[in-house]
Amino acid sequence: MTIFGYQLKLVRRATLPSWKAAVFSVLAVLFGLVLFSVVFFQAHVDPITAYKEIFSYAFVNTYGLRLTISRFIFLALVTYAFIIPFRAGLWNIGMSGQLYVGALAAFGVAYAFGGRDSSTIQLPAGLVIPLMMIAAAAGGGLMGGIAGFLKGRWNVNEIVSTMMLNFIAFYLTSKMIKEGGVFMNPGGRGESFELPASIRAPTIMDVPTTIFLVLILVILLQFLFAKTSLGYKIRAFGNNPMAARYAGIDTGKLSVLVFVMGGAFAGLAAYHYFGAVPGVFKIPRNYGYFGDLAFYGIICGLISMGNPLAALPVAFFFGGLSIGGRFAQGKLHLGFGIDYALLGVLMITLVMFQFFYRYQMMWMKKEE
Amino acid sequence: MLADAKATRGAQLQNEFVVAEAGEVMLEAKGITKRFPNGVLANDHIDFTLKSGEVHAVLGENGAGKTTLMCILFGLLQPDEGEISIRGQKMDFRSPLDAIEAGIGMVHQHRKLIPAHSVIENIILGHPQARGVLKLKQIEEEVAALAESYGFKVDLRAKVWQLSEGEKQVVEILKALYRGAKILILDEPTSALTPVETEKLLDSILKMTRRDLGVVPFITHKLPIVLSLCDHVTVLQRGKVTARLQTCDATEQILAKKMVGREVIFNLKRPEVPTGAQILKVENLSARNNKGIMAFEGVSFILQEGEIMGIAGVAGNGQHELAEVLAGLRKAEGGSINFLGQDITNMSILNRWRMGIGYTPAERTDVGSIGAFSLVDNIFMNYYFDEEFNHKGVLDYKKMQRLTHEIIEEFDVATPGIDTSAHSMSGGNLQKIIMGRVFSRKPLLLIANLPAQGLDVGATEFVQRKLLEARSNQAGIILISEELDEILSLSDWVAPMYEGKIVDFIPIAEAKKETIGAMMAGSYQEK
Repeated sequence: MTIFGYQLKLVRRATLPSWKAAVFSVLAVLFGLVLFSVVFFQAHVDPITAYKEIFSYAFVNTYGLRLTISRFIFLALVTYAFIIPFRAGLWNIGMSGQLYVGALAAFGVAYAFGGRDSSTIQLPAGLVIPLMMIAAAAGGGLMGGIAGFLKGRWNVNEIVSTMMLNFIAFYLTSKMIKEGGVFMNPGGRGESFELPASIRAPTIMDVPTTIFLVLILVILLQFLFAKTSLGYKIRAFGNNPMAARYAGIDTGKLSVLVFVMGGAFAGLAAYHYFGAVPGVFKIPRNYGYFGDLAFYGIICGLISMGNPLAALPVAFFFGGLSIGGRFAQGKLHLGFGIDYALLGVLMITLVMFQFFYRYQMMWMKKEE
Repeated sequence: MLADAKATRGAQLQNEFVVAEAGEVMLEAKGITKRFPNGVLANDHIDFTLKSGEVHAVLGENGAGKTTLMCILFGLLQPDEGEISIRGQKMDFRSPLDAIEAGIGMVHQHRKLIPAHSVIENIILGHPQARGVLKLKQIEEEVAALAESYGFKVDLRAKVWQLSEGEKQVVEILKALYRGAKILILDEPTSALTPVETEKLLDSILKMTRRDLGVVPFITHKLPIVLSLCDHVTVLQRGKVTARLQTCDATEQILAKKMVGREVIFNLKRPEVPTGAQILKVENLSARNNKGIMAFEGVSFILQEGEIMGIAGVAGNGQHELAEVLAGLRKAEGGSINFLGQDITNMSILNRWRMGIGYTPAERTDVGSIGAFSLVDNIFMNYYFDEEFNHKGVLDYKKMQRLTHEIIEEFDVATPGIDTSAHSMSGGNLQKIIMGRVFSRKPLLLIANLPAQGLDVGATEFVQRKLLEARSNQAGIILISEELDEILSLSDWVAPMYEGKIVDFIPIAEAKKETIGAMMAGSYQEK
């Protein structure tokens, strides 16, 4: 392309400092917001008003911010569920399934302690809550481990197997909490029994304590990838599987391990999402409508390029937008799905802008 | 002797055909200058003239600017200054398509073919005639005739992944010729080829020049080939032409000196090393290749400390698979491997590293290193499991940085720093990193698979000297090479391999180049 004697050239970048990556992400978000204002114009709403509503509810309003933080905890955990296998070059598309099985396991613990029959029953929280979390992680890990084992042992494509396992988990959950299953709400509302108040996760200033899971995990994961031999093995496998094998890394075992870890994080997300906050396990009512927020873990993982620390602001931002978007949609009487559309547009622009991570645009004077 | 080779080849041609008179100027490049955005002056006023019917080699070490010049001639890069003309007509190549249209064909060092497609499909890929309904039958006949006329033998229906490196090269050349190339640029044409394939290629190149094609091979090493094949040589060093010679005026020593800027030792002295205890005993070993066919069978030998066993073979005769089985990367189908008195046939790769078996793979970027990793992380490939560097699962990066510095220094690696990523390293420097890494573990058994392949003269000498050093330190070494000269100058035992069998074990004192060459080609008969 030539304009006024200057030629636009693309030059491959050798390295990119992280502050520049952050700047490009912010630019991408601004670009996405400007782009999406077309939709608001179409709905005869002033985009400035709309964005004000969205952002002030999500990040300023006390009640909204509380929801945002809760959503952020969930998104951060499912993002980690995606990131661990992703760093090993494997794609975990099964966070939904791991989530469901994790939640089932957690509710199984509550059920075993008699938590179904009365919502006022007093249970030893100090014992039940940790057990529920462990069960959730174990359940999710087991579900992930199946895909990891199939990959490591017979090289079954993990995208296909995790996808398929999602459906198994979905119908298993339906069986357990809806169709007269043992976890069904006695009131017959098509969801699980409600957890007794005594075993809901404690909160600090209305923020569920599961946030500490995220804060501990981000430190552990940063350390894992930067300093440990396990993290090294995962990175080596992800960057060059053949070289990893040559270096003596047992790639079969590693496949199982990363999926168990990823699944366990998804299980913890399930504990947070169903166990800690509302204390009830719900899934989409319609069997044809499948898919939930767990899939956003994939996008957040890709945007943060597998970096556990970078995943936090991304998860926080999208958590807030999903809360604020839904709020603005109701308040400004916008069409159904505007919130998801906004998230989708921003995700696309963010991924698009990663082009600038790799290339630099330069205007060069054209010589004649 | 080299001059003889040239004379013999010439004489053969005289008898068969009339040698084309080196005639009209086909390609002329004047004052080519290219400066990269990072300030590197890759080409500094290079003049270059190619006449029809001649082979004109461009020599130079890695980084001398050959690749840049080649890319400019092929339209991949545009020069900052200077002009290119073809048959006296000024050209302005904006892309390779312009260059192809002007009759320039290029064969890259790294083959750019689609492995899952057949040879003929690869040849017509991008050809103007390959539009709409393909007249595959007719095209196949044309290509077959073309191949026949230059003496190329290749199965047009075979899938590319089934071919050897030499055959792939032939496909690339045929592809260029079928598109009507009159000037053929070959990048390191013999780097992955076996002696036999090299011979065939050289013959075909001479046949091509007889039809008034101009051929420009770009070469970093293998000076004997330059001398026996080419008419003119242009030597580049640091982006400048340092010499323009006729091959009759040149010797290997002169060319090497012009390339490297210092004297290069071609025949390393192999010091006497007393052989020690037996470290490796291989019995009746066999394994399959990636296609599921037996790669080698019934291989048995013994290796002692301080010995180099040179396995000489044309690519695809099972030596690559043998190296992988010994390193643990490939499953043995039958037989046993005994290392230091222990059966390791089914031992994991990791335990082999721990026991002191080191492997430097031929595939340096695909297997031997991790491109996105820093040099420090690349060195960790052989140390992440070592208690000295791994304290209960936590890696000791401080210690590894020291070791990386040591390796860089000892192996004379040219790099801006230890945090440089491996994929920004040149082939020679990458190989030095890999070798330095493996050697630093002081392996008792070292399997070196094509250690000097594709390296320039200086780096080759360095790598070979390091192999001899390891031998002096009592390592047992299995050297796999397709370069007969390399095998003969380094090995204590020579083991030619042909079609999955080791033909014979010959002590170096009795090794004769002709006999071994014949054994590698499968044409050796017991007297």
